Amino acid sequence: MLDTSEAGGPAVRRRWFALLLRDRFACAAALVLVLVALCAVLGPLLAADLATRQNLRAPDRPPFSLDHGWAFVLGSDSLGRPVAARLLTAAGTTLAVAVPAVLCSLAVGSVWGMWAGYHGGLRENVSLRVADVILSFPSLLLAVVVLYVFSPSAASLVLVLAVARIPVYLRTARAEAAELRGRLFMDAARTFGTGGWAAIRRHVAPSVLPTLLTVAALDFCFVMLAESSLSFLGIGIQPPDVSWGLMVAQGRQELQSAWWIAFFPGLAIVVTTVSATALASWARLTADPGQRWREALGRTGGKRPRRERERSAAGNGTRPSNGAVLAVEDLSVDVHTPAGPVQVVRGVGFTVRSGETLALLGESGCGKSMTAHAVAGLLDPVAEVTGGQVRLDGVNLLAIGPRARRRLAGPHLAMVFQDALSALNPVLTVGTQLAEPFRIHEGMSRRAARARAVELMERVGIPEAGSRADAYPHQFSGGMRQRLLIATAVALRPKVLIADEPTTALDVTVQAQIMDLLAELGGEQRTALVLITHDLGLAAEHADRVAVMYAGAVVETGPVAEVFGKPHHPYTQGLLASVPAEQHRGARLRSIPGGPPDPGAVPAGCAFRTRCPLARERCATHRPALNGTGPGRAAACHFGKDLADA
Amino acid sequence: MLTLLRRRAVSSVIPLMVVVLGVFFLARLTGDPANLYLPLSATPEMRAEFAARNGLDEPLVTQFGDYLAQVAHLDFGESLRTAQPAGEAVLRAFPATLQLAGWTMLLAIVGAVAIGSLAAYRPNSATDRIASFLSSMAASVPDFWIAIMGVLVFAVTLGWLPTSGTSGAAAWVLPVATLLIRPFGVLVQVVRGAMVSALSAPYVKVARGKGASEPRVVFGHSLRNAAAPALTVAGDLAVGLVNGAVVVETIFGWPGIGKLMIDSVLQRDFAVLQAAVLLTALAIFALNILVDLCHALLDPRVRQRAAA
Repeated sequence: MLDTSEAGGPAVRRRWFALLLRDRFACAAALVLVLVALCAVLGPLLAADLATRQNLRAPDRPPFSLDHGWAFVLGSDSLGRPVAARLLTAAGTTLAVAVPAVLCSLAVGSVWGMWAGYHGGLRENVSLRVADVILSFPSLLLAVVVLYVFSPSAASLVLVLAVARIPVYLRTARAEAAELRGRLFMDAARTFGTGGWAAIRRHVAPSVLPTLLTVAALDFCFVMLAESSLSFLGIGIQPPDVSWGLMVAQGRQELQSAWWIAFFPGLAIVVTTVSATALASWARLTADPGQRWREALGRTGGKRPRRERERSAAGNGTRPSNGAVLAVEDLSVDVHTPAGPVQVVRGVGFTVRSGETLALLGESGCGKSMTAHAVAGLLDPVAEVTGGQVRLDGVNLLAIGPRARRRLAGPHLAMVFQDALSALNPVLTVGTQLAEPFRIHEGMSRRAARARAVELMERVGIPEAGSRADAYPHQFSGGMRQRLLIATAVALRPKVLIADEPTTALDVTVQAQIMDLLAELGGEQRTALVLITHDLGLAAEHADRVAVMYAGAVVETGPVAEVFGKPHHPYTQGLLASVPAEQHRGARLRSIPGGPPDPGAVPAGCAFRTRCPLARERCATHRPALNGTGPGRAAACHFGKDLADA
Repeated sequence: MLTLLRRRAVSSVIPLMVVVLGVFFLARLTGDPANLYLPLSATPEMRAEFAARNGLDEPLVTQFGDYLAQVAHLDFGESLRTAQPAGEAVLRAFPATLQLAGWTMLLAIVGAVAIGSLAAYRPNSATDRIASFLSSMAASVPDFWIAIMGVLVFAVTLGWLPTSGTSGAAAWVLPVATLLIRPFGVLVQVVRGAMVSALSAPYVKVARGKGASEPRVVFGHSLRNAAAPALTVAGDLAVGLVNGAVVVETIFGWPGIGKLMIDSVLQRDFAVLQAAVLLTALAIFALNILVDLCHALLDPRVRQRAAA
């Protein structure tokens, strides 16, 4: 939405309008605002005369009676003036203060902010300081002081409110402009000698403006409320002019006898400000595609886990499966998108035995991480398991309740995440975080758990563990953080450990150390390790078996040396051929033509056929199953047997 | 920690100085200060006498020096209405406002954390939508009108609560409730947003991966991370409470600093207004330091940055 609105033009405006019509609530809010604006323009013309005409014979007439004409439908005040007519006139005064004040602060604040953000340096710092000073002082107080010195009038109100709100726009515009300053196209503009103001007008203003307009809509409420408050307090709009705030103040004197005099103007303020807020939040959601996406997703969420449990409860058996500690069968995962559910994991199956390392290998986006998260029960709310089984020691994890699952998380199944910095809680000491598994599962005292945490830190090779336990994650290096994360995962000697790209964020020497640590710990405890990686070398060196994934499904499995020695699937062949190796020296590196399919548009039949040199007609119509091609080996290819025999 | 305190104190002094300067310039440079201090009906003799007594015939620099010395001694001159020292009047009114604002902020923070977390726990659930809608309404209603309608319903019609005064718990209900509405509405939205992003952070997954219970995930892991943005906004809202206090104290006859300010504006008592403004600025200065301290307590990274 944002990029199209930058381009401007009537087509975009029509689209916004269409979007507005789709949201009933925002539509109503817009309608209310248009009505208020109409009243503000026409009201003083039509009702000014009526509003000031006193009728001392008819004071405090109650509302909701048409006996005395439309002007008295909301009653009359103590001087017999009709409330409805005064309300219309007051709309004009109220908006005549709020609108110019907002426009002034928007204009000055945004230009100032863009200028400060575009140039940076001293200009930026001084501008921000000025904004801080103004904002650190309550705006009403500022207004009170200024209105004391200059006598209160509509003009001085506009001035005070505009000055008080300039910093809000200044900050927003500055932040956005400063962010743009770092972008490449700005450098390009500077290289071409585009002057400061020209660059701001052409490049900065169009992308900052939508945000600023949203801010202005919210600020409109603030300014209107401030004006009403000041008028109510007697230092804003002065009689004989009338604004809604002033009407409330006048009605307050007769609250007991004539409630309607204070009630209706207040209601007018509420309706206007709430509409402006609603419209502003609608605009913010519409302008931010990410936000809208999340909103759409949320709507499908909520009751999901229960349905899932019921459905898969059918397969709730505890049958042991030939020595494998973890057995995944026909696992499918959908991700909900605005366009509907997209299947990102399509019937994945694999097994791991105690003490064995299985590498789940594939390009990014092939669904290997999603598979891992589904197995560990840590999928994001937008993703949902739609079928299959995950059996840990024969128990189907997808069929048991969250409480039972929590008991298994840690002592039976643990996971090591990719980015150790965000995976450690920044505000808790590492000692606390490492002690947590012991506190949760073994009910240890704080002190005992801490002692175990220190032990654990020593075991994963963190020097001075005793004192470092009180340090925070940001005080450790990347490699050390990954060690800490592994320590957390292996704390309770889990039977299965899933490591999701555990070394991707690290440099090569640290990578080797981390992998050695994982292997060492796995060896000691006979842990079944599922190593998720895109690194063929890592898999070759550290895994016993490999499962190669493509487009959300396993396409080949087998002992790692055999699979890499003689692949039975053309995709594995392609992968291996694209790795520089000794025997390829001098030859051209081959890459697989094309790219992996978009998860929303996986080809029918075999997902790999569009890139496959062996593809035949059959491949387009029949999806190949993962069939045995040799002892301990399987490939999901119609020609798997042929490749094995060749 | 001390370094942090010192640095924040130094940088917050700038706004404070600007306010001190601003008051001086407003009083001297926008016309004859006698216009500000004396009633409109003052005779020329009174004006001359006033000028001589307050050193207004001296050069501007001397006047500024005197002014600073006075401010440093919290000597703001005498109130026109009561002929008492203005500083004393303000200090007497201060605790009433502080109590009112303190209770309001306490309730707003506790309530917003509870409701905001509840809403964030299941984004877009019915609870979330209701909480979001009501809080955005609350953030944009005129407090003075709510106060008056509250008086109409609960004091005038039902007779449950008094219309003004400070004695007894019942007298606190309407003022605190009125003052509460807007900060509460804003804070619920902020806490919700911060909790939504904290609950989707990877460390929450890790905690769940350890088998942590949901209360442990929410209170042990997410809330402290969400507290930082909420705290910043709560600080701004506490400053903004002065706005609300002016309105609420006027309506409920609360003998606090907000009412004092409005009264002194309406009765053109510049000495008291000046004292009230400067002391409020001082209180805001103290509040900002308090907020920074809380930030440092909550987040070790802030502590480290401060020490560096």
